[in-house]
Amino acid sequence: MSVTDLRRTGKAAAPGTADGPGLPAAPPRQPRRNPGRPVWEEDPSPVGQGLKGLTLLGVCLAILGPLWVVIVTSLSDRRTITEAGGLVVIPRTVTFQAYEELLSGGTVTRAAIVSLLVTLVGTVLSMTVSVLCAYGLSRPGSFAHRPILMVLLITMFFSAGLIPTYLLVTGIGLQDSYWAMILPSAISVFNILVLRAFFMSTAPELIDSARIDGAGEWRILLRIVMPLSKAVIAVISLFYAVGYWSQWFNAMIYLNDAEKWPLQMILRQLVIKQQAPQGMSQMIATQQVPGLAVQMAVMVLALIPVVIVYPFVQKHFTKGMLTGAIKG
Amino acid sequence: MRPGTASAPERAPAAPPAPAPGGRWHRLRRDRSLLLMALPAVGLLVLFVYVPLIWITVAFKDYDPYVSGLWSSPWTGLENITLLLEDSRFWDAGANTLAITFLQLVLFFPVPIALALLLNSLLSERLRGVVQSVLYLPHFFSWVLVITVFQQMLGGAGLLSQLLRARGYEGFDLMTDPGAFKFLVTAQMVWKDAGWGVIVFLAALSSVNQDLYEAAAADGAGRWRRMWHITLPALRPVIALLLVLRVGDSLTVGFEQILLQRDAVGPGASEVFDTYVWWVGLASGDYGVAAAGGLVKGLFSLVLVLLANKVAHLLGEQGVYRK
Amino acid sequence: MPNSQAPDSVSAQSRPHHPHSRRTFLASTAVAAAAVAGGGPLLTGCGAAESTGRGGTTSGKDLKKLLPTYVASKASEPDIPGRNGSSPGFTRVPEELTASVSGKPGKGGTYTAYTPLWGTPPPKDSAYYRAVDEALGARIQWRTQDGNTYGEKLGAVLASDDVADIVCVPQWEMAGRIHGAISAKFADLGPYLSGDKVKKYPNLAAIPTEAWQMSVFGGRLRGLPMPARPLGGVVPFYRQDVFEKEGYEVPKSPDAFLALAKEITRPKSRVWACEDMWWSAQIIFGCPPEKPYYWLERDGKLVNKFETDAYLEALEWTRKLFAAKVVHPDAVAGKANDAAVRFTSGQSLMMNDGDAKWYGLTAEQKDVNPEFVIQAMDFFGPDGGDPVIYQGAPASIWSFLNKKLSKAQIEECLAIADFIAAPYGTREQRLVDYGVEGEHHTIRDGAPVKTELGVKEVVDTYRFIVSAEATVSYPDHPQVVKDYCGWMQRMGAHMRKPLFFGMQIQEPNRYASLATPFEDLAKDVVRGRKSLRDVQNAVSDWRKGGGDKLRDWYAELLEKNGSGV
Repeated sequence: MSVTDLRRTGKAAAPGTADGPGLPAAPPRQPRRNPGRPVWEEDPSPVGQGLKGLTLLGVCLAILGPLWVVIVTSLSDRRTITEAGGLVVIPRTVTFQAYEELLSGGTVTRAAIVSLLVTLVGTVLSMTVSVLCAYGLSRPGSFAHRPILMVLLITMFFSAGLIPTYLLVTGIGLQDSYWAMILPSAISVFNILVLRAFFMSTAPELIDSARIDGAGEWRILLRIVMPLSKAVIAVISLFYAVGYWSQWFNAMIYLNDAEKWPLQMILRQLVIKQQAPQGMSQMIATQQVPGLAVQMAVMVLALIPVVIVYPFVQKHFTKGMLTGAIKG
Repeated sequence: MRPGTASAPERAPAAPPAPAPGGRWHRLRRDRSLLLMALPAVGLLVLFVYVPLIWITVAFKDYDPYVSGLWSSPWTGLENITLLLEDSRFWDAGANTLAITFLQLVLFFPVPIALALLLNSLLSERLRGVVQSVLYLPHFFSWVLVITVFQQMLGGAGLLSQLLRARGYEGFDLMTDPGAFKFLVTAQMVWKDAGWGVIVFLAALSSVNQDLYEAAAADGAGRWRRMWHITLPALRPVIALLLVLRVGDSLTVGFEQILLQRDAVGPGASEVFDTYVWWVGLASGDYGVAAAGGLVKGLFSLVLVLLANKVAHLLGEQGVYRK
Repeated sequence: MPNSQAPDSVSAQSRPHHPHSRRTFLASTAVAAAAVAGGGPLLTGCGAAESTGRGGTTSGKDLKKLLPTYVASKASEPDIPGRNGSSPGFTRVPEELTASVSGKPGKGGTYTAYTPLWGTPPPKDSAYYRAVDEALGARIQWRTQDGNTYGEKLGAVLASDDVADIVCVPQWEMAGRIHGAISAKFADLGPYLSGDKVKKYPNLAAIPTEAWQMSVFGGRLRGLPMPARPLGGVVPFYRQDVFEKEGYEVPKSPDAFLALAKEITRPKSRVWACEDMWWSAQIIFGCPPEKPYYWLERDGKLVNKFETDAYLEALEWTRKLFAAKVVHPDAVAGKANDAAVRFTSGQSLMMNDGDAKWYGLTAEQKDVNPEFVIQAMDFFGPDGGDPVIYQGAPASIWSFLNKKLSKAQIEECLAIADFIAAPYGTREQRLVDYGVEGEHHTIRDGAPVKTELGVKEVVDTYRFIVSAEATVSYPDHPQVVKDYCGWMQRMGAHMRKPLFFGMQIQEPNRYASLATPFEDLAKDVVRGRKSLRDVQNAVSDWRKGGGDKLRDWYAELLEKNGSGV
């Protein structure tokens, strides 16, 4: 392959980038699964490597340090916590009492299933609607796309407030319905805009030529745009899923029936219990509700979805996946 | 848009997307399936956002939801808006909000980008995976816990103070220092959400054609030049979009986060727009003033986002929507 | 950017669960139910203000006509009788439980109840609910809500058409226009309870008159009260065990308190003298209580709490505590909710907190730290003399019956309420508080102890519909009962009633948030971020901004209704 070839391809691939560097692009190849350093990359400088390592170490410590304290506290017994006067740094005893209390009685398990289903159904719904909308608005110069974008944008900055929204949601019969946890917050305009930005930057030439070839929009979306946008679709799905998973406010407002509550709502109750009005401590004390350890155990439980789901999403962030997608 | 850097299509028609020939009806017919696609989302937004927005008219009413309701509450003209604008606390809160937004733009906004670049430069897939997972964890902590952790670390009875005291120094208390508050909330923000913010940028980076790097290297471009000419351009659309939206959202800074720490430093340093509206409006049941606050904020944000979008266009960026 | 990571509608709606430490205290005073025999003297009457934003109160003849006749309960005799206004104390369980209700009060109806709940809600369909419903002869469908965020939802719920049949509203959630909503949405119980009509419901008749007096909203008897203790609420606690071990003397004056606090504080060993003592400071220096009871009469003129020297002195003393760095740093940071955790772990040795902590912490620490002893110090005056303590409101939690209920339904609800209001030592009370014997509790040393199922299922829900006269009854910790009653009796000697005592007052809407800035101001002043000068400026702003008009409004109220003293 000659340098001239590269230049030509590169120019052709970058039309209309007047201020761009106009860098050469190579013809597509099989994705590199990156077993090591590419042959063309220069050797790293020891100083650079050292700085990089230090930064990473610092960042990880800043996160894992507090996390360590949280985990240790969740595994400590009352006496250790009392002696430490709060969070425990050095473990003395290890007891799973807090977790046992949390998971006993089936409340937490049931709520976890509710959360899981709401997250699943909600994410699928939100993604379908958002991807459709983002693509529908992504064609430059299409009919009415600007007024529609304005309609979306306005909702980012104006909200009616609690009472009107409550009256509407209960008015259309969503009180005590699982849908109350999904529909009112099914759309994030931010996510639609991100999707749209990616769709527009992803191979507009391919799309244009497909249009010239007479392919319908649905076909283009399914066959060209979606396969090319795996990464952003994974990301936005993750945003939606995490949003649904950590949501509690809609449940608090619209679900009177505690048996329909999602996990976050239950966990929240447990965390806040320590802060319950003092007069209530009479009941709390007689109920032997554990304190800080349960709070911390709750936090650890909240991390579990990330540990489980993340590996599935992560593979979409591999370097240069797009090349393969186009080739394929 | 900058297609050349982000992708390398095989067939590359040079023609830019043509402004549609023919009239309005032609375009409507041509784009009907696109409009159909946008419909469900627009419908949901209209139902759950626009219909309740009728209530924003209470900004001009003496609204009592229990006795007179929306329709029969008496009109009061601009009284609620005047009340709002005459309150010096409103302006103080606005100033605090903008100061914190500015700090976040300078100190928070670049962090996820830098982290994404750093991660991207790691060769070992495994190490990358581990670091990424660690970075995301704090996002799943609620604000209550994040603040508890900060209090336990940096508070007057916190770990660091106690360590200092054990060595005979004076302890310190960062959590109750009004002067440090704005930096403190920004630091908390970085701790909790900077790692999570990396995701979008990683997604953008993942769509960069690796062959571009090889070709650039072949042309003699060094590490930094490759980053400057290939990696950063790939991130530009996303950065521009996020920046425009953040500027538009200038009046929004972590509501729960700040409310939880309000007592520690006092409202002088910590009152922000949303907490102000919450206290003055909702907590004392003055829905009219609260709605007026929401209206003022919404208009301000809309103007800001349109301006920011304009600036983005002038700089050759896409922003939220094309010119 | 920060908010943009998740679906924005979700994050934008996240609300603080506990914005306000005042709620904590108000809730604490409220739940510890109590009573005083007899109502205050009632003077000339005036027309009651209906639900409009004008506000007002009801008293005099009008009020007298509304109030139910008091008929004391004969259920059981307290072993520590009330004295100086203290609540009666029970150190043990009576040998034989009596029945205060014959037959089933209900007629098979089903009612929805909207009440706050602190803690994890029990299963909707539990053996406990079934047992109580069975005894009631009616079904209650609970719509319990998290107590910490109760007010946020309450406003929206009351605005909708779907208001539950029975709705509980605590005083501290009556901000803004909720007060007016009560008159618009809930039934007038006067035709069922006023005068001798209440005798049909003997347990309701045994609720002290003062509590009923507080249940008159918009000129009608609408609330079913949860009576409150006249004293207590916020109690200055100290660690008696540590004090004895270290030889600390319980302080008897503000200066002695400060001196002791400096002696106690050793940051290096993680020991600070106290938590935020602002609430106690107000009592020590003789400040009038919270709105609407925040007026004094001096030379025939009304003086607001914020205008008194006592208020400034209390601020100044508390500021000295903060400046001397004897207050636990986490309390300085406003984390009042965890005060008890720091107190039990010995990081702070003095705190003011809700009276229920007395028993609560004792029970909690019994196994963990057997040496732990919590004790209340006696209040002292500014110069170490006798304090002036204002009596607390006789009730601050009510439940209301929906206006849409028919006459027969309201009568059924009241019969149910009568069952729930059964006093200490009755079978009904045992069932409501402890569930079914053998299933939810067992009897150990004569006192009921909850079983595992009991802990899970039996939570305080029925209590929020109505409660009996408050008592101090902890048969498992008789010493707490003795200490608490003794403290109440000693403090009761210095108790006096605030000017508008026992009146349910609704301030006009336009003044509703007038006092709000003072709460933040006090926090700023004691932490040294603002000065007493700023307070004086705020007072003059307050006067110009409507305070003087509010004074006139109260003066008129006083003239028409007489004082509550």
